[in-house]
Amino acid sequence: MNDSAHLSSQFDEDLSRLRTHVLQMGGLVETQVSAAIDAYSTGEVSSVKHIVETDRRINDLEIAIDDDCAHIIAKRQPAASDLRLVFGISKIVTDLERAGDEAKKIAKGVRRIYEAGQVPSQFGIGVRHIAEAALHMVRDALDAFARLDVEQAHRVINADANVDVEFKSIVRQLITHMMEDPRTITTSIDIIWIARAVERIGDHAKNIAEHVVFIVEGRDIRHPPKEQKA
Amino acid sequence: MQIHDNPALKAEARNLNFYYGEAKALKGINMPIYDKKVTALIGPSGCGKSTYLRSFNRMHDLYPGNRYEGEIRFFPDNTNLLSPEVDPIEVRMRVGMVFQKPNPFPKSIYENVAYGLRVRGENNKRVLDDKVEHALKGGALWDEVKDRLNELASNLSGGQQQRLCIARALATDPELLLFDEPTSALDPIATAAIEELVHELKKRVTILIVTHNMQQAARVSDYTAYMFLGEMIEFGKTDEIFLKPKDKRTEDYITGRMG
Amino acid sequence: MQPLTTEQIRAVIARGKLKDTIFKALGLFCLSIGLLVIVALIVDMFIKGSERFTLDFFMNFASRRATQAGILSAWVGSLLVMLVTALAAVPLGVAAGLYLEEYAKRNWLTHIIEVNISNLAAVPSIVYGLLALGIFVYQFGFGQSILSAGLTLALLILPIIIVATREAIRAIPAMIREGSMAVGATRWQTCRYHIIPYAMPGILTGVIIGLARAIGETAPIITIGALTFIAFLPPVPFTGEPPAGLFEWVMSPFTVMPIQIFNWTSRPDPAFEVNAAAAGFVLMVMVLSMNAVAIYLRYKMRKNIKW
Repeated sequence: MNDSAHLSSQFDEDLSRLRTHVLQMGGLVETQVSAAIDAYSTGEVSSVKHIVETDRRINDLEIAIDDDCAHIIAKRQPAASDLRLVFGISKIVTDLERAGDEAKKIAKGVRRIYEAGQVPSQFGIGVRHIAEAALHMVRDALDAFARLDVEQAHRVINADANVDVEFKSIVRQLITHMMEDPRTITTSIDIIWIARAVERIGDHAKNIAEHVVFIVEGRDIRHPPKEQKA
Repeated sequence: MQIHDNPALKAEARNLNFYYGEAKALKGINMPIYDKKVTALIGPSGCGKSTYLRSFNRMHDLYPGNRYEGEIRFFPDNTNLLSPEVDPIEVRMRVGMVFQKPNPFPKSIYENVAYGLRVRGENNKRVLDDKVEHALKGGALWDEVKDRLNELASNLSGGQQQRLCIARALATDPELLLFDEPTSALDPIATAAIEELVHELKKRVTILIVTHNMQQAARVSDYTAYMFLGEMIEFGKTDEIFLKPKDKRTEDYITGRMG
Repeated sequence: MQPLTTEQIRAVIARGKLKDTIFKALGLFCLSIGLLVIVALIVDMFIKGSERFTLDFFMNFASRRATQAGILSAWVGSLLVMLVTALAAVPLGVAAGLYLEEYAKRNWLTHIIEVNISNLAAVPSIVYGLLALGIFVYQFGFGQSILSAGLTLALLILPIIIVATREAIRAIPAMIREGSMAVGATRWQTCRYHIIPYAMPGILTGVIIGLARAIGETAPIITIGALTFIAFLPPVPFTGEPPAGLFEWVMSPFTVMPIQIFNWTSRPDPAFEVNAAAAGFVLMVMVLSMNAVAIYLRYKMRKNIKW
């Protein structure tokens, strides 16, 4: 990336404010995910309300950042690394916002399970595990963005495979549960939804990492051609 | 959108050096010009982009003390445009030029366009009428001037004058058309009209355009070359140059970091 | 520094404007000196010579009696000499100017030529007379003829025309020349279609100012031996038996206006002074109308030349 200053210091300020806002939004999403996982483990249903409210702030930030991106494009006609940064940020905030939504889904799922008088942690211990992994990915992806660190981004991208594998094994485990004891079906499905949300959070973290690679290298690595995959 | 094979070459600079007297203004430039494509030359003032452009029609030969080294190969016939054996007038008959400031002759609109043909010895009224009309249509000016061809060109607006100059260059069917910052003296509307015209023209002529407006280069060109201090720093597809330039100096220039 | 108050700003402007006014008045005064002199001169000559402004004065030859003396041979002579001068000096001067501006390489030789053209303009006219006496009158055997006089004056105004031509060419923007060359024109095509037509107003102005100077020249004409008393007209130009007859007039003896005036002023009889004043006035009118024509032509031709 290019660290030297623009001739227009106003442009530099605009860009750095934009990055600050993204990190601020990222911090909120991270807290949301972390709070949702805590609620899942501890059964603190009271925090669910707080998570749902915070999601609104995340949505507002997404709109504000997208608006800033549009203004920078309109006024500055950014090119090359600047263009990639603005364009990448606009995509990153979409993924952040969706990760936030998933956190909200987890929180609501947790509330449903507890209100039904169940304790989720006794079922999927694995959920807690991938949730920690997904939270890590979000954290690392944001870190990669903050430092525009391509290696870090690649680590996040690689980590996603593990989350996917674990998610599948959790689903298998829960199916076995449901077959053994049909009374657990309702709760199991809720937990599958939660695990699914966690897995999606991992996907969004991976997307963010891919956007970071695009910002830095100008390469779109989201859909590698077949022969490269092999 | 990836285009894997490059189109045919129209011209190619090979190790081109240029001297204004003792001062070396172009340093070892190698660059392809692709057929029926628009190639933009960008770079800060004094980087040699206009000097380079004016080598293609040997404009430097008009002034004493200028010297070329190297070659500009012109295809399909593989002529070296810079060879001392090649008459600069022959070169200018094949390579047209549009200047920074509209420079219509203080004559009628008709005579401005017909001039290049008259220079080639064409005096048949019917042929002239035909070609003038065709060229003015090519310059997207016909509808505006068809009823006043005998009026003075200086009565036209700046944008119309520049399109007249384009028509003047088109009248003689050049193979390569050089634009030297053609819109720097025009307002945004007239500029947009010229840019649209450039887009239209590349169907039939190869275009090399110098511009100090980077967005313009991004809008009109297929290929972009960044020049700095007489050197060709980077040449590539416009899409790539403006999204992911390879050279830090190109990056600094197009992102507005030139100090 | 404290920002100025409105009052202070007004005071500063007032001071500045006072100087404007003073200079304006001074300039006007200086200008009016020149203007007054010429007006006084013309009015004086007009009043002194007023009794001679009859048709006879223009249609009579010179005479020993002041009241019967006219300027017929003088004004006809002046016009014919000017015709020869123009025919010789214009092509030469324009070609030279064009060559220097458009074709000549910038080297020491052209530099020397340029310096010498300026020097030529500074040569006293009597010296041209001496030169012409040697070359045209004796060497070439043109004798004391209209041809000799015309060529002499042509030499005299050649630098003026060359300089005017060069100035006019230089005023043409380089982009016009480049625009022409860029479509593949040769230098000559560029000169023929653009440079000469666009420089024409300036060239014409130079020509007429040169001729206006030539028409008043006395010294070189006297040197080559114009007659002071002549009672016949040269043959009407281009009417004789072709081919030789067409140019008979150029070999004819002649007189011109300034010589006629000079002659009359040197007569002891004060009555001739009236003639001199009248002829002087006519000469002034000729010069001024030539200048007027120059201004008119320049205006008319420049109207269509815009860049």
